Amino acid sequence: MSVTKSEFRQRIAAGIADERVIRAVHQATLHKVDAAAEALAELSDREGLRELAAQIKQHLLENLPEYLEQFVRACERRGTRVHFAADAQAACEIICAIAHGSGSELAVKAKSMATEEIRLNDALQAAGVRTIETDLGEFIVQIDHDRPSHIVTPIIHKDRRQIAQALVRETGCDYTEDPEELTAIARDYLRDIFRRCDLGITGANFAVAESGTICICTNEGNGRMSTTRPRVHVALVGIEKLVPRLRDLPVFLKLLARSSTGQPLTVYTTLITGPKRPSDRDGPEQLHVVLLDNGRSEILGGPFTEVLRCIRCGACLNACPVFRNIGGHAYGSVYPGPIGSLATPLLSGINEHAELPRASTLCGACQAACPVKIDLPGLLVKLRAQTRARQPLGKRLGMNVWKRLMQSPALFGWGQRVLRWMLPGGDDGWISSGFGPAGAWTKVRDLPRPPERTFRERWREGLDDEG
Amino acid sequence: MKVALFVTCLTDSFYPRVGEAVVRVLRHFGCKVEFPTEQTCCGQPAFNSGFHDQAAAVARRMLRVFEPYETVVTPSASCAGMVKHHFAELLGDDAQERAAAERLAARTHEFATFVTNKLGVEIGKHLEFAEPITFHYPCRARGIYSLEELSSWLAGADAVDLRTPRQAELCCGFGGGFAVEYPEISGAMLGDKLDELVSTGAKLVICNEGGCALNMSGGAHRRGIPLRFKHLAECLAESLGLMEPEA
Amino acid sequence: MKADDRLRLAATDDNVRRETVARFLDWLKRRQRTAPPETALPDDPQTGAREVALDEDLAARFRRAATTVGMNVHTAMLSDWLDVVGELLQKHEARSAAIPAAGDGFFEAERVEQLRQRLTGEGIATQSDVDDETLFSVDVAITGVAAAIAEHGSLVCESQPGVARGSSLIPPIHIAVVAVEQLLPDLCDYFDGLSKRSGLPAAISLITGPSKTADIEGVLVTGVHGPAVVDVVVVRPA
Repeated sequence: MSVTKSEFRQRIAAGIADERVIRAVHQATLHKVDAAAEALAELSDREGLRELAAQIKQHLLENLPEYLEQFVRACERRGTRVHFAADAQAACEIICAIAHGSGSELAVKAKSMATEEIRLNDALQAAGVRTIETDLGEFIVQIDHDRPSHIVTPIIHKDRRQIAQALVRETGCDYTEDPEELTAIARDYLRDIFRRCDLGITGANFAVAESGTICICTNEGNGRMSTTRPRVHVALVGIEKLVPRLRDLPVFLKLLARSSTGQPLTVYTTLITGPKRPSDRDGPEQLHVVLLDNGRSEILGGPFTEVLRCIRCGACLNACPVFRNIGGHAYGSVYPGPIGSLATPLLSGINEHAELPRASTLCGACQAACPVKIDLPGLLVKLRAQTRARQPLGKRLGMNVWKRLMQSPALFGWGQRVLRWMLPGGDDGWISSGFGPAGAWTKVRDLPRPPERTFRERWREGLDDEG
Repeated sequence: MKVALFVTCLTDSFYPRVGEAVVRVLRHFGCKVEFPTEQTCCGQPAFNSGFHDQAAAVARRMLRVFEPYETVVTPSASCAGMVKHHFAELLGDDAQERAAAERLAARTHEFATFVTNKLGVEIGKHLEFAEPITFHYPCRARGIYSLEELSSWLAGADAVDLRTPRQAELCCGFGGGFAVEYPEISGAMLGDKLDELVSTGAKLVICNEGGCALNMSGGAHRRGIPLRFKHLAECLAESLGLMEPEA
Repeated sequence: MKADDRLRLAATDDNVRRETVARFLDWLKRRQRTAPPETALPDDPQTGAREVALDEDLAARFRRAATTVGMNVHTAMLSDWLDVVGELLQKHEARSAAIPAAGDGFFEAERVEQLRQRLTGEGIATQSDVDDETLFSVDVAITGVAAAIAEHGSLVCESQPGVARGSSLIPPIHIAVVAVEQLLPDLCDYFDGLSKRSGLPAAISLITGPSKTADIEGVLVTGVHGPAVVDVVVVRPA
């Protein structure tokens, strides 16, 4: 028995207790699950497409160095400057240096999980570069000093009142709770920023090795704004985000938005290959791609390689009944949900985050939803096996006792009798309190009393004779 | 046909009536049923929890206990899944053990799929229900039988009022050790599941997993919800007149 | 050299930057793999990914798909496309419009001139030499497209001489004129074409609907950063 509840358990308790947020998360995720199912059913061969996507990504990961080389060469041909960042700090340093080197003082950001992973905004702010999030949800998160709770829809935990208050504080606008008016306020504020900004920072949904193209999918248009208006564009791209060829992209594009929000495609799919040409009317003069490792090369080639197939669609979050009931903040990490329960320990230390993979029933809803067929439940079990030494002593000893019981039918039968004796039950045959595992069980439900005779006892008493 | 029953530790201890129903139904359809008394558990709880050494020891033992039997039938899809999908990987370090595991995997069958596919019985034809029913699709049945198969077994019953929950595949929150390791989350998931079942209007839930039944019946009782849970084998045995209907 | 300085130099000095990348790639290649590569790259993803057959009625499919995602589709003939565009501008009460550059898809130089004259005749201020300031102040942008894709009702805008990325992005209303011959059946067809080109444009945008968000309580709002209204005029030859 642990004396102090771990931080994770405290966050879980806080998450479950926030009924308003949990109701909002239920509504949002269930709606998306339905929308995704409908959208995917429109595909003539959804399973075939998933298999293609899984194969392409798996092939890429098995040959990543060669494809990265190809990508770098293609970028150089187009005038894209490729940088390599070994870890979060290196990435922040490089991007800050690019900002300083280009004299940028005002930066706009399109939504990028990678930039959140490396805490880029803090670094830029410390370096004197004013950085504004432009995805509506991320903008609200930023001005409200909050953290996103979902990798695709960052503010499902916020209601319109909170959003209105944040906007009034930041922009001095008149108070309104109407979503259209709130959006218009944010739009005008951000349009002014877009007109004046020097530097655009994005991630990339995909990066094409053969052509040095990066692909950015958004619905609002901020991705396009951030890569059109500023003089300098920096794209932070995890090394696993590559696809081999241009003609591989449709496979992923056809699955991404359908799995994520139920749309056939995101409103804007932007493909950028190099900075602006001299004859182009607009576009950035400099394009930098910062390839990010930050723990990915450790995972590559190992038993958890397929985690790197992830295209950040968020479908596993939407499908997960654990996520739905504890909310995104409970995971305490940039990546929540089933993929986060794998990615966070694998990227940030499996011992420090040993509890995350345990908070799952392995129901497989995530695996069924994943467009690139990551075996999330199987990998969660693998992680549990790798961190079993971190389990409480009582649990580890208990497992050995259990093993002994299971290795001897005599002990097993004895164990069944002990169980019956330990769980006497009330008058109606139900147990509503106990200690140890029975105590934990009965926190939230009753336990039926084990019947008087077990199956093997009935068998010996005559069931075997009747056939 | 000779069949060895792998009753599973949960069914043995908490739901012996399910084991009895399986025996009676298999006999009714012409099988000779044996019960290897040395059996205990397939090791799934230890495996899922990451204690793979302990799980392997228990799995190894199960291989020995069931080695002499041509056909193994179990009432639990999750235990069938453990044997069929995870034994070989768990014991993969030793080539001989791995081969034995693969052989056992091929010989082990979940009850309803066995009756349907190996005995050629149309389950629905032999089922009778006196009230509306709903069902729970156990998430660990994935890879053993599909939601469509489960629905078809039940829908085949004469004049059945089958109420399919909107989220028929929703996990009930049991998850083995998870139920006692993270009871708050488990309880929240259980609440969602019970809401789903209640909203169908049916009071009888066909539930083919012992762990799920313990979880959901315990939750229903705590909340005062009048839901009852029965294994498909029990329903078959009762409909065929092989066992007295239970309240 | 301190690690920090080296990083800063890497960001701004091309030689150091390239060397850092090369060293990483070298290191990655030499790292031991636990398993040899075993997954083949599918030769022809097109076969598995194609949804729209080459012989489908592309105009009908495009209209259905584009309408589903919230764009307004109008048909016109070569003889009356100017009227259709003019009516749209009237409906939108546009006082100013950014007009396309010559060579922007449907808009050969002659058609640009026809458009300019028509708009001027209706008292609509036309901006052709668009820079960003103009785009932020006009009511409507009229553009051609590089292609259109029937499968999802997508418009494809590519950066090219004279064609600003911002035209289909910044003004609140976007009117795109598409020649029906520009329609491609499937997303796969467009990317297939791309992969055969010798050089790609700096920026390509597939546009599949008006700009939107549902970040606030899941309520759908259009016109966030991109246009709130997208009108597509599909022009048939006769």
